[in-house]
Amino acid sequence: MDISRRGFIKLMGAGTACLGLSGLGLDVKPALAYTTTMKTAGAKEVVSICPYCSCGCNIIMFIKDGKFISSEGDPDYPVSEGSLCAKGASFHALHMNPHRVIQPLYRAPGSSEWVEKDWDFMLGTIARRLKDVRDKDFKEKNDKGQVVNRLDTVMHVGSALMDNEECAVTVQALRAMGVYQIDHQARV
Amino acid sequence: MTKSFLIDTSRCTACRGCQIACKEWKDFPAVHTLQTGTHQNPPDLGPYNYKLIRFKEYKINNRVEWLFFPEQCRHCDEPGCKAGADAIMEGAIIKDKDTGAVLYTELTKQFTPQQAEDVRSMCPYNVPRWSKEKGELTKCDMCFDRITNGAVPACVKTCCTGCMNFGEREAMIKLGNERLEKIRKTYPKATLLDPDEVSVIFLVTEDRKLYHEFAERRTPAPLPGMGRQEFLASLTRPFKAMFG
Amino acid sequence: MTQHWIDIKNSNAVLIMGSNAAENHPISFKWVLRAKDQGATVIHVDPKFSRTSARCNFHVPLRSGTDIAFLGGMLRYILEKNLIQREYVAEYTNAGFILGKDYEFKDGLFSGYDPVKRVYDRKKWDFARDENGTPKRDKTLKDPRCVFQVMKKHYARYTLDMVSQVTGVSKANLLKVYDAFGATGKPDKAGTMMYALGWTQHTVGVQNIRLAAIIQLLLGNIGVAGGGVNALRGEPNVQGSTDHAVLWDILPGYLAPPLATQVTLEDYNKVLTPKSADPMSVNWWQNFPKYSVSLFKGWFGEAATPENGYGYDWTPKVEPGEQYSNMFMFDRMYKHQMRGAFFLGHNPAQSMPNTHKIRKALANLDWMVVGEVDHTETTDFWRGPDVDPAKVKTEVFLLPCSHRGEKGGTTTNSGRWQMWHHKGFEPAGTSKSMGQIEVELFHAVRDLYAKEGGAFPEPILKLDMDREYDPEKVAMKVNGWFTRDCTVNGKEFKKGDQVPNFTFLTADGSTTSLCWLYSGSYPEVGKNLTKRRDHTQTEMQAKLGLFPNFSWAWPVNRRIIYNRASVDVNGKPFNPALPVVLYEGDNKWVGDVVDGAGPPMAQPGGKYPFIMHTEGHAQIFGPGRVDGPLPEHYEPAETPLTVNPFSKQMNNPAIRWIESDMDQLAKHGDPRFPIVLTTYGVTEHWLSGTDSRNTKIILEAEPQLYLEMSHELAKEKGIANGDVVEIESIRGKVQAVAMVTIRVVPFKVMGKTVHLVGMPFAFGWTTPGVGDSTNRLTPTVGDPNTYIPEYKASLVNVRKAPKITELER
Repeated sequence: MDISRRGFIKLMGAGTACLGLSGLGLDVKPALAYTTTMKTAGAKEVVSICPYCSCGCNIIMFIKDGKFISSEGDPDYPVSEGSLCAKGASFHALHMNPHRVIQPLYRAPGSSEWVEKDWDFMLGTIARRLKDVRDKDFKEKNDKGQVVNRLDTVMHVGSALMDNEECAVTVQALRAMGVYQIDHQARV
Repeated sequence: MTKSFLIDTSRCTACRGCQIACKEWKDFPAVHTLQTGTHQNPPDLGPYNYKLIRFKEYKINNRVEWLFFPEQCRHCDEPGCKAGADAIMEGAIIKDKDTGAVLYTELTKQFTPQQAEDVRSMCPYNVPRWSKEKGELTKCDMCFDRITNGAVPACVKTCCTGCMNFGEREAMIKLGNERLEKIRKTYPKATLLDPDEVSVIFLVTEDRKLYHEFAERRTPAPLPGMGRQEFLASLTRPFKAMFG
Repeated sequence: MTQHWIDIKNSNAVLIMGSNAAENHPISFKWVLRAKDQGATVIHVDPKFSRTSARCNFHVPLRSGTDIAFLGGMLRYILEKNLIQREYVAEYTNAGFILGKDYEFKDGLFSGYDPVKRVYDRKKWDFARDENGTPKRDKTLKDPRCVFQVMKKHYARYTLDMVSQVTGVSKANLLKVYDAFGATGKPDKAGTMMYALGWTQHTVGVQNIRLAAIIQLLLGNIGVAGGGVNALRGEPNVQGSTDHAVLWDILPGYLAPPLATQVTLEDYNKVLTPKSADPMSVNWWQNFPKYSVSLFKGWFGEAATPENGYGYDWTPKVEPGEQYSNMFMFDRMYKHQMRGAFFLGHNPAQSMPNTHKIRKALANLDWMVVGEVDHTETTDFWRGPDVDPAKVKTEVFLLPCSHRGEKGGTTTNSGRWQMWHHKGFEPAGTSKSMGQIEVELFHAVRDLYAKEGGAFPEPILKLDMDREYDPEKVAMKVNGWFTRDCTVNGKEFKKGDQVPNFTFLTADGSTTSLCWLYSGSYPEVGKNLTKRRDHTQTEMQAKLGLFPNFSWAWPVNRRIIYNRASVDVNGKPFNPALPVVLYEGDNKWVGDVVDGAGPPMAQPGGKYPFIMHTEGHAQIFGPGRVDGPLPEHYEPAETPLTVNPFSKQMNNPAIRWIESDMDQLAKHGDPRFPIVLTTYGVTEHWLSGTDSRNTKIILEAEPQLYLEMSHELAKEKGIANGDVVEIESIRGKVQAVAMVTIRVVPFKVMGKTVHLVGMPFAFGWTTPGVGDSTNRLTPTVGDPNTYIPEYKASLVNVRKAPKITELER
């Protein structure tokens, strides 16, 4: 990554410093209990972008041993100059959310609970459902006899959270399958 | 040269980036809150909230003034809390001479709850909070880990409008006076709060009393006629009785 | 945005209307305050006083849903006081165009209205044209049938008195705004408008923005530094996801969707490729076939041939005049016409209007697939409040999605900067990126078709899509590449070369591009411009706050669009102190990337600046919208009034109503629901709240659903600050905590007092005790152009909750 780091280098500089207690005439021990090492010292920095509003604030993620430990605004982003609002400032906490869904979950018709399933089951079953409905409902021609090649009974909504590249493949795949009832947050 | 903050409330949008950035940097857990008819939440500073935006609204000269006050420890030049703590246990509260940061050390854990309350009540701004869970006295530490490594405190780093500023004391005083001169054209009552006594200088546009009960400085000094020895001796008694 | 975030600092007046920028786009205020520091007047016009208002020079409260009246009054004032930038208006807009004989406006209706179908025949709004089809013009703007004069007459009715009566804004406040903003009509002054969902979420949403644009054109505020009409986009990539058309009504790059009547690619291209006989008009959309063919070629690769219209033949065609947007799809779902649904990063059971209906509709699906990071009111609708899971037959697949930090790719900010974000660490659990999920799902379907055959398998089997989702490769494909050795624009290319930019796209299958607007972002192999972090700028660019080497902006790295309108016909900047582009002769411009090629307009070979319009002129008169060529005030679908003071048409005549047993609307002036409700976002939460509610340090700061109301209303209803109240519309009830505040005031409208209350919509039942969807109150009715729902103005009543059931206390 080509990052010019206006002032940020300093932040990552020594990483530790000593608290100057000489002359205070105090017992050094309790003061040293004060952390003088930044928790981000030695962490790898990777630039991400805030997933909330469209200010697009660039955010530096601090990664240690493959783990995401902290984040803050990227001073190189000319729009934010390193600042963040309440939501942007919680970027790290957002990722640490304990409520997150991290395994595929399946809920059978009429069931009152989720069951954890693997991806093969999920993708295979969804594909089966979609193919069955498509084979049954696909419309090559409309009532007027015009060629329409579409599937009227399946819809897809979302998402403005997707990256541009994700949007590109989504639209491509959906339209190829005849799914055209597509919408997302641009309209809410 | 020590460090100072300039908190220019005339630029605050109460986005609460600072409030959250503080918690993030400190890895503090969320506290449980409820909506009580105000945007101010949590309602007060606490062991997991060293930084808090206070909200107050008034109609002044037929204009709505919504006052935001990014509250935190003022890092006093002569900290009342430190004076109190010194009388109990030297080194429990220290003032770092390089930065001016007022730091609560692990020794505050040895305070009895009453001693902690005594020290707490010495604060002219009612900032320190006793943490039952941690068993210690808590407040903002100026992001000591950050500032001793060349970074600015987390709250300052995240501020998007230039409300939160941090730097050499002289520079902050200068900036404060420059801002004050400009802002007084619109808000003639604008003033810097206690610039000669604290490292965290607020610029407010209205009468300080309007912002918060403790925006006004209380004077936790010995009572008139009381000498230093007497004062220290009195520290075994609750302070509230002294200047309540 | 026509400009970009930083450019706001260059404004002399900032009108924030239909937006609460400081709360919902907090970083924007960095630049708003810098403008203010330099003397700009910052104005907030909004129903309630918010954190935005707190930092503005002044706030003006406005009854929700009356923006057109407010702006119409401003337009009249600008004309009356002659504050317009005359040269700009006469030369660059269609103000001088002569209207055809069929155009008429009478008592709230434009000519061509069919009251049964509730649609206009827009041909009636055409211009008078010469023998070549070029509109006739009177640059003196005096012809009584020219746009300028017709507009003047149209808005003559928007007097101060009338506007004040309708909007509830005092005349003094109206004049304060009109004067401050009108002052930017001087050639060297710029005013900017910042809007968001406060303008779009109305049954007159598009016309709100049209009127804003008209005023900006009259004042010469488009294309100049510090000027613009700026949609503050609400989602991290709603700009990009719209550009890439995750929508039924466009294909990527704003190409129209194929219709059932457009049998072949030729039919499709012919209808959508405009012609202009005017040599000074760039008529950019004449390139339409290059973009459509490159898109289809990108989709179907080798299989896309001239014989199958490069795959056009395989793509779905929609019925002309039919609607397929959210509200209509869910209506079909409610009526058992939908069998399966995919929701990716979307929470309609919380965010769609009339969520009671949405929650019921979801139970009518056979199956649904949800891609999410959290449990939401949609993923778990089958166990929601008052739902018996045993009775819900919908089969639900919940696929865990990776979060932002766990994947790489680009998003596009509101200023159209396309920026790469890097993957920082491995996805949690077995979660996958949405891109990977979509690709794997497609391949699972394709595998079944390969094995079993089935209905119309060709497009599925022949789609050009890798099995693995690789954002870098897709980014290259979005930019586009050459499919064979060829020469374009006199330059030779080899098969596999990246297309330098969209001016090299072709209509013969030799190029691909998954979205022409983004062509230029990845012009060479190994040269991904969205990753640029370079701050290099010229002195001129530094003064503007332009960072041409940081990331990349569409189109062709232009940072301020329509920038050719920042100079006069001879190329001299209207504001010499802050030029956006400067002409150096010999077709060379410096500063920003100039809009369209060629010298200034008055020189030989010069072009009109508004290159996207067929006639090259900005449209003060806009015949392209379904509900009228000039904005007109209509009341919201639910209004406290019983008559529209402006005309006999109470509501937008082109609204298509959605009808079902659950789609009730309050009567006009309904005594049961006398209070106007407006809904909004709040700094600490985001949209339906699933991300922010589950980030507990954020929830701590804004923990529960609240209702902001005036002291006057609270007194009338016996409600104290902090009480739990019940808000009721004809569609449902919601509980919230009362926030009684001086920041909300009653309005005086047509002589009577109208109360307004406001609520956020971020709180839902999957987060216990915080409250549930505000949208149980809002109606399923929307703007007839976009079908964005009218969340901003509906009718309710409020009382102290007899029993607290939805909120922790």
